[in-house]
Amino acid sequence: MSLSSALSIAQSSLLNNGRQTSVVSRNVQESKNPDYTRRVAIVSSLAPGARVVDVQRATNEQLFRQNLSALSSWSGQSTLSSGLEQLEISVNGVDNSTTAATAIGKFQQALQTYSASPSNRTLAENAIDAARQVVRTLNSGTAAIQSFRVDMDGQIAAAVDELNGLLAEFKDVNTAVTTGTRAGRNVNDALDQRDALLKKIAEYVPLSTLTRGDNDMVLMTKDGATLFEQVPRTASFQASTSYGAGSAGNPVYIDGVPVGLGSGGNTDASGKIAGMVQLRDGVATRMQGQLDEIARGLVTAFAETGTAVADRPGLFTWPGAPAMPAASTLVDGLAGSIRISAAFDSSVGGNPELLRDGGANGTAYVVNIDGNASFADLLIAYGDRMDRPMAFDPSVGLTSNISLSNFSTASVGWFQAVRKDASEGAEAKEALAARTQEALSNDTGVNVDAEMSLLLDLEHTYEASARIIKAVDEMLAALLAAVR
Amino acid sequence: MKTMSVSTAALSQSLRYSLVRAQAELTKAQKELQTGQMADTGLALGARTSQTVSFTRDFDRTQGIVDSNTLISSRLKTTQDSLKQINDAAQTFLSTLTTSSSGDAVGNVTQSSAKIMLQELTSILNTSFNGEHIFAGTNTDVTPIDDFSAPSSTAKAAFDAAFQSHFGFAKTDPAAASITAAEMDAFLTAAVEPQFLGAGWAANWSDATDQRIVSRVTLSDTTETSVSANDPGIRKLAMAAATISDLFDSNIGPGARQALLDKAVNLVGQAVGNIGNLQATTGIIQKRVSDASDRLKVQIDLFERQIGDMVGVDPYEAKTRVDALLGQIEASYALTARLQQLSILRYIS
Repeated sequence: MSLSSALSIAQSSLLNNGRQTSVVSRNVQESKNPDYTRRVAIVSSLAPGARVVDVQRATNEQLFRQNLSALSSWSGQSTLSSGLEQLEISVNGVDNSTTAATAIGKFQQALQTYSASPSNRTLAENAIDAARQVVRTLNSGTAAIQSFRVDMDGQIAAAVDELNGLLAEFKDVNTAVTTGTRAGRNVNDALDQRDALLKKIAEYVPLSTLTRGDNDMVLMTKDGATLFEQVPRTASFQASTSYGAGSAGNPVYIDGVPVGLGSGGNTDASGKIAGMVQLRDGVATRMQGQLDEIARGLVTAFAETGTAVADRPGLFTWPGAPAMPAASTLVDGLAGSIRISAAFDSSVGGNPELLRDGGANGTAYVVNIDGNASFADLLIAYGDRMDRPMAFDPSVGLTSNISLSNFSTASVGWFQAVRKDASEGAEAKEALAARTQEALSNDTGVNVDAEMSLLLDLEHTYEASARIIKAVDEMLAALLAAVR
Repeated sequence: MKTMSVSTAALSQSLRYSLVRAQAELTKAQKELQTGQMADTGLALGARTSQTVSFTRDFDRTQGIVDSNTLISSRLKTTQDSLKQINDAAQTFLSTLTTSSSGDAVGNVTQSSAKIMLQELTSILNTSFNGEHIFAGTNTDVTPIDDFSAPSSTAKAAFDAAFQSHFGFAKTDPAAASITAAEMDAFLTAAVEPQFLGAGWAANWSDATDQRIVSRVTLSDTTETSVSANDPGIRKLAMAAATISDLFDSNIGPGARQALLDKAVNLVGQAVGNIGNLQATTGIIQKRVSDASDRLKVQIDLFERQIGDMVGVDPYEAKTRVDALLGQIEASYALTARLQQLSILRYIS
């Protein structure tokens, strides 16, 4: 050992110190960046003296995956929950004020008032008007649901485009990682970028990742469709510009595999795209089916009957008239096409008192044969028919043998149950996502205080090294002075 | 060695999530405090929302039925009053007839009392209430009883024609004076009774239907809530009054007049009984409707309470919740401010 080796060790210490300081300053600079992973300068001792500084990322694979999965679930759930809010307002109205159930209740009331004074034509008009309101509610509900589905399609298409864009970006970053790793360069920044992209992609689809040699990464969705392997696979989707009730939505394909339909309010659909598909094909379609069944129930309950003649639609009519819709079978889009029969509508020359007398379909259907002004039997019978159990299509997910008025309230109950589940699920999943994010940040993020104390250490090391150099310098000077 | 770590970002963000949640809760709690109802019944009740919707609807419907029951009750009250008037008039008429039968009253007094009876009966039976003729059965938009004294009366024409065809001459004919009591009895039974108690009543006298108005008096019950002018009591009363007012004059011989009188006394006596029955029936209906209304009011209270139980919020609880949330949010603010100041940089400069 010699003074010169002491000098070179001090020099190398200064060099390392510089590198460590640069790592610390980078850490402090990025402390507010949620996608930044803290760098650790690892100093390896080699004889003579410390020489090698290796910069590593403080990763935690386990927490990162948990965070990705929590992000996907939350993204899917919050999409579902906010979509339900949208449907609630556009179809059911604030505090269920524009539901079919409410409109039917008002109509029943108007019928009751009319049946108490059947000779009063104003009350007949009033009852027809209440019926018109029911029809309007069903029509506008259908229009709202179908435009919601079209809207969803637009959003799905946008999301699919964004996903494809992210996957293309992922390819660039992944290539940077693999080539850098192969060349032995430091790829930490590229890895950070790749993780940030993964978090973004996880919001669209649930991910499972696989890391291969040279840090190459393969991305798959949770149900096994490949998203990325060397090259990005395409997600494809054809948006529709209009929807009829009952028409099926186009599926979203990821590498040729269709995205599955999630189920339940606290959904198993994960990722924004699956959430939107569930809204479009699960919730909206079922809601439409229930409205259609309510409409069919109305046409059936107000059918005109006669002896030795087939039943015909009465007050509420549909495009299939004069036939009746088949019993307990869903007719797609009936809620959108149900109308008040022109025979009852005084604005087009109809007679509202046909509601009391019957006979909109001809004399064979007249019930009040003598045309008595206070004949209330038919009006009362209509009221009874709405309260009598009838058969509904079980495919719309409600009790199938139930009265029309109860069916309409059950439909509200179903929707609110889904909405409640979705909202509670969103709360829980948001909390989980926030918690995993926090845990990940705690584990891999920067603590400025820790970095600053590290900086103090480095300062001290620097001072010590500088002192050593100065001491060696003095010793050498003393030596040289002695020789002089 | 690192036992536990916390990142600066996590530290500054940690309060954010809970703060946002507390603020969202606060808006809900404020709304609940103001309205006394749940801010979002759908989210609070889920599937049970269907019950509140159905309770609210039944509440409104029941209220509607109570209202229409009030209308029905008024109609029945008018009917009852009218029946009482008819009964009173019939009693008066009966006493005049009895007097006349014992030979104390003069002929034209009896006849004019019959005319008054008939007019009174016609006008009472043609009473309308709220635009509906209350004795018309269900055919309430036409006046049920033909006015016998009007010149165009079909009932009068039919009556005259019956007399003409039975005896072969008009009642003003001098030959009418020679009709015997037995002949008059035969005429009353064979020709006049069908006019009132048979098919002639509906053809010439009454446009009322036998069918009464049916009304829904509770959510599930219906009942007949009117009476018809076709009741036998009214027919008999009309027959007695019409025969006396039309035939009881000097053209007819005394024997035949006595026969008329006997028949009329008999008929009015029966009619009073029948109308009494009608009054009782109406009373029973009145009771049924008012009972139904009472029951419905109990139901309405029940519905109201149920709805209150489901969507109502205890204002004290809501207030304490608002206070607690405000405290929590304030603490969050204070902590955030303190945390922002907490930095090693302030100590190592």
